[in-house]
Amino acid sequence: MIKIDKLRKRYGKMEALKGLSLEIDKGTVFGFVGPNGAGKSTSMSILATLLEPTSGKAYVGGYEVTSHPRQVRKLIGYMPDFFGVYDNLTAEEYLDFYGANYDIPVQERRQIIPQLLELVNLSHKRDAYVDSLSRGMKQRLGLARCLVHNPEVLILDEPASGLDPRARIELREILKELRDMGKTIIISSHILPELAEMCDVIGVIEEGNLIAFGKVEEIYARMQEKRVLRIRLVDRMEDALTHLKQQPLVSNVTREGNWAVVGFSGDDQQQVELLRSLALAGLPVAAFNEAEGNLEEIFLEITKGVGS
Amino acid sequence: MNVLRRFRNPVLMNELKLRMRTKRSPWIITLYLLVLGTVALTFVFLMTGAGSYYNPNETRELFMMLSLMQLAMICFVVPGLTAGVISGERERQTLSILLTTNVSATKLVLGKWLASLSFMSFLVFATIPLYAIIFLYGGVSPAQLLQVFAFYVVTMLGLGSIGVLLSTLIKRTGIATVLSYALVFGYGVGTSVLAEVIREFIRFQRNANNITGPFPVWPDFFHSLNPLFAMMSIFEEGPFRGLRRMAGSKYAALALDPYAIYCLFFAVVTIICLALSIYLIKPVKPRWRRKAATGE
Repeated sequence: MIKIDKLRKRYGKMEALKGLSLEIDKGTVFGFVGPNGAGKSTSMSILATLLEPTSGKAYVGGYEVTSHPRQVRKLIGYMPDFFGVYDNLTAEEYLDFYGANYDIPVQERRQIIPQLLELVNLSHKRDAYVDSLSRGMKQRLGLARCLVHNPEVLILDEPASGLDPRARIELREILKELRDMGKTIIISSHILPELAEMCDVIGVIEEGNLIAFGKVEEIYARMQEKRVLRIRLVDRMEDALTHLKQQPLVSNVTREGNWAVVGFSGDDQQQVELLRSLALAGLPVAAFNEAEGNLEEIFLEITKGVGS
Repeated sequence: MNVLRRFRNPVLMNELKLRMRTKRSPWIITLYLLVLGTVALTFVFLMTGAGSYYNPNETRELFMMLSLMQLAMICFVVPGLTAGVISGERERQTLSILLTTNVSATKLVLGKWLASLSFMSFLVFATIPLYAIIFLYGGVSPAQLLQVFAFYVVTMLGLGSIGVLLSTLIKRTGIATVLSYALVFGYGVGTSVLAEVIREFIRFQRNANNITGPFPVWPDFFHSLNPLFAMMSIFEEGPFRGLRRMAGSKYAALALDPYAIYCLFFAVVTIICLALSIYLIKPVKPRWRRKAATGE
């Protein structure tokens, strides 16, 4: 359904996308994960026909986005990370306006809009002015707006950002319903566990490169293979970092004050060997432990610094 | 029906609805009518010598004054109304959503442009009862009244399109508005200053080289582009001696009416500004040699 082929986007000297390639099948819920500025929004804007890539191609439903934007727009519903609303319209009028923008006849709009408001649990706010809605409600209304022309693909850029826990749960439930309806959904977030629950496939992007791509279970398995070690040294930090970089099972060596933070892909016995090698090298190790934290933190530790 | 559907513009309909829902709109209408009404009635009051009688010969002056004043109001209000139409959408973060819908860039720009001008037209046509004062006394032909209103429409469309272009080019509404005003007033003053500079230059050249014969009409052309003088030409006033003399000569075919020159020029400006706005607002620019889609 969606194909991105060696996509590059350059803003002056800064390269936001560095040859991104991926494919998403029809009916898949794809989670785009990565820190801020990784290139998620840029990729999504290109898919939404709002941005022209510097090079490379992107296809939605077989249509290339820059040469066939009109056809692509009929296939997609796009929700940007930040979006405004027309304050002087009611929720119903808001959806009606966008329905008219998609050339949906009036009679059809009258049927669709109550259904959409029902789907996003806003039926009781039908006649309320949009500016009187809470952020969570506006976000849900935005989602209903994306669905007004019944698109096959939904592109949702950080839909859960800025929402309280309750609103997040509500949004998640709606997205599950949409998944059951067979929509292809691309959803971005920097909160991995949230995405993991509802996505079939996850892609991790960092500094314009796709550094991991696969089914949620595969990514989980890969993450469990890899652990993050935090090593505190009293002195000789530079020597310790050099020593660690030379170890075969160690990757992504970074420094956080007196701590060396590394990715480690060995087992428990190999971890003991690593500690021993540090001691034999005469490095003053004061603490040596596995990073504790939730899935998201471990994930971000693992991906930190990749692509730089 | 299908033809009508093609011309249906949801952006325009939505804009009209939104504009009339703001609390500001009734205040603007009230203030606008109050200013024009006060001026017109004060003029009549002064002409009647504070209660004696009114000289119908002075109706023409009242008509001219009212028309010029309305023109000044248009020049004052239109840049403010139009300079925020696109940048406002951008600031409100609604533009990107609109651009991903089926609404074409043309419909979007035209909808915004017409919606803002429809409000201005509403203001202008709301003043028609004021003109009734003139017809009470006579002295002005209905054709002149029609010409004046057609002039307003042409001016509004032209100035509005400049405002829309600046609003598309400049991201901030504030800057776009200031620039629109600067451009409109710069244009108003600039055309006539340029006309006079050219006139003086030609006069100097003619004197230096002892050239006789009819004076060139170039300065008149530049004066014709000025809204104030172009409107005065409706009343047979303004610095257009060259063009009038030409009308009676063998070059009569070339002696365009200043009013026609003005309308023609503004039509061209309107088309260029709107076409540029439509091109610039497109996030993905059209290329003529795009290959057919290949992909999955």
